[in-house]
Amino acid sequence: MTFRRIYILWGLTGLFLLGLVFYPLIVDLQPYWLLVGFSALFYAILASSWSLLAGYTGQFSFAHMAFMGLGAYTSGILVRDLGWAPWMSTVAGVLLAGVVGMIIGYLCLRLRATYLALFTIAFAEIFRLVVKAEVNFTGGPNGLEMPPYTIPEGVNRVMRAIFPFWDAHQYVPSYYIMALFFFLSLFVMFLLVRSRYGLFFRAVREDEEAAAALGVHVVNTRVLAFVVSSMIAALAGILFHHFIGLIVPDEMQIGRMSLVIAMAVIGGSQNLIGAAIGAIFIHFSLEWLQQIPLPVPVLEQLLFLENWGFNIDLQAGVLRTNAWRMVGFGLLLMLTLRFWQNGLISPIIEWLARKEAVEEVAKRFQAERAMDAVDNVAEITEPVEATNPSETAS
Amino acid sequence: MWLAPEVVPTLVLQVSATYIVRLLLEGLLIGVIYALMALGLTLIFSVLNIVSFAHGEFYMIGGYVVFLILRNWKGFPGLLAIFAAALVTFVIGAIFERLFLQPMAQGKVDRPNEYAILITFGLSFFLQFFVLGLMGPFPKKAPRFWSLPELDLGFLRMTRTTLFLGRIPLSAGRLFAALIALIALAAMLYFMYRTWTGWALQAVSQDRNAAAVVGINPLNMNTLAFALGGMLAGLAGAVLVTVFSWVPWVGITASAKSFVIIVLGGMGSIPGSLLGGIILGVVESLGTGLFPDPARAQAYRDVFGLIIFALVLLVKPTGLFGREL
Repeated sequence: MTFRRIYILWGLTGLFLLGLVFYPLIVDLQPYWLLVGFSALFYAILASSWSLLAGYTGQFSFAHMAFMGLGAYTSGILVRDLGWAPWMSTVAGVLLAGVVGMIIGYLCLRLRATYLALFTIAFAEIFRLVVKAEVNFTGGPNGLEMPPYTIPEGVNRVMRAIFPFWDAHQYVPSYYIMALFFFLSLFVMFLLVRSRYGLFFRAVREDEEAAAALGVHVVNTRVLAFVVSSMIAALAGILFHHFIGLIVPDEMQIGRMSLVIAMAVIGGSQNLIGAAIGAIFIHFSLEWLQQIPLPVPVLEQLLFLENWGFNIDLQAGVLRTNAWRMVGFGLLLMLTLRFWQNGLISPIIEWLARKEAVEEVAKRFQAERAMDAVDNVAEITEPVEATNPSETAS
Repeated sequence: MWLAPEVVPTLVLQVSATYIVRLLLEGLLIGVIYALMALGLTLIFSVLNIVSFAHGEFYMIGGYVVFLILRNWKGFPGLLAIFAAALVTFVIGAIFERLFLQPMAQGKVDRPNEYAILITFGLSFFLQFFVLGLMGPFPKKAPRFWSLPELDLGFLRMTRTTLFLGRIPLSAGRLFAALIALIALAAMLYFMYRTWTGWALQAVSQDRNAAAVVGINPLNMNTLAFALGGMLAGLAGAVLVTVFSWVPWVGITASAKSFVIIVLGGMGSIPGSLLGGIILGVVESLGTGLFPDPARAQAYRDVFGLIIFALVLLVKPTGLFGREL
């Protein structure tokens, strides 16, 4: 069996899925790392759904976090004021986000790139400020309480049978639910992108008029992108916040949006999987970079950094980077945009997946041409008996 | 339910002419500074054809430069500190433009539209956290270095911190800031309309190729425009740091307001940005002053501009004086 590059990709995917399933065991059920994994998946869903809207369809919307917050706040308010069960309010939140996404999608139809960005920034900021101001309705700056899900006992028993550590910590069920949703949403988006709709998205991104001339329904395509991405973002937001227990309006500020965008760009804004992997990778890196363990003598040389915003903990033997890890991340973002505009992760994925086929076809074509050339040479070197030109023509 | 009685306007607004005039004047004072900042953004757009999402961060840096100078050198003249802030933001703008925006102008970037939006966003991200790392998250306030002379002319009264026009109080800090902003605006307008370099900038904004034909280097003009734009934002921050308390994310709202103004006035139009700035200042002031629920009025201050913004984008994206994107 010849070794094909795509086997590497399948192997990596398998490894990743295994890691996803066994992650709680890998981190020894430590609550901190469970929470980090949980958040990483949350950001991965946000990054990949944003890349669907921005990378595939070309609509650079900054309202993504607003949709996330819209879903979460809707769910929380329905539970608080109408007494709905969290599962029902989740569905309602997703549907409402889909409707609002559709409206925003329609409003943005006439707006080109920069204007679309500005409009979605305006929408996101208005939403955040109104939520922050209406204290009686939304809890204002202090946030809204989001009650946890009650998992039915039947499900609990099944889960306990598969994962004996299900009850070890409250974060374990939340991690698995988020992991399940991560897998499902990526799968759905992947199917969408591989279908005709994926082609429509990319066609609309490249040249709307040409796409329309070829029969793509541009309006529906653009609005569909908004609806799908906003619904997925809302669902991610709802699940995340019901498990965390609280949502605050400042989670919808533009700074958080930039973080998601940065993750998607570094992963690869035009590749769903790249964006998701990029987000996970960056989230974990940012957590690891919070504290850099160094030998104490080295730390003693670096004490001057305390004046520059770092913290040195000689007893624990770590250098706390505080805000500087984000500075490094920002620099990475700018450099990636400048030199590797397709991202850092998605070129690797695409190299593993696609180039092989092209190379194989090229090799086969060359082999056939070589075979034909040999026939011609044989004809030429042997004494020519047939003078009929049509016999020597191939 | 959340529709509590205080939402319904029960109070009869004691709206006197004095109150309205006071709101108008306050709006004008802040509007002039908004206009200065928006002028920078519109200049960047007119020459480079991009909206700089990092504009607020230049504003933020301008403020921090003044703060640092005044904190570390007690007797340093305030005007010189403002000048230093302008210089620093000019240099930062020029360096960033040369490194990251020139390739786009030279055609070396794959998807220029996407790049233009994201790269300035990246700069904004970087600068916010850079300053957060250096200065920390706690609010800073620069010491006031300007006070009014004591004066009492009946109708016009001045204490050290406030100017009274009749019964209308105006803060000295804001007055000073508006004054410097006016001088800077006047200087900028003189520069744009009465000097060769200013004409060169306008030429590039009108027609790049024609400007190149007559010997103007569009790439150098790009750098100059971006640096000048950043400088104007830095100036706005430098004059306001003694008035507002300063945190690394103070630029976010400033950016948002600049976007509102340039869209309202028309992207790329200088008179549009001036008029838009004044309009926004006055609308914000009147809106918060006359809001039916005083408890929430301040929280909604930023919303007025954003609503105007959204409406303009939907109804007439070119704004008052603008040209097509």
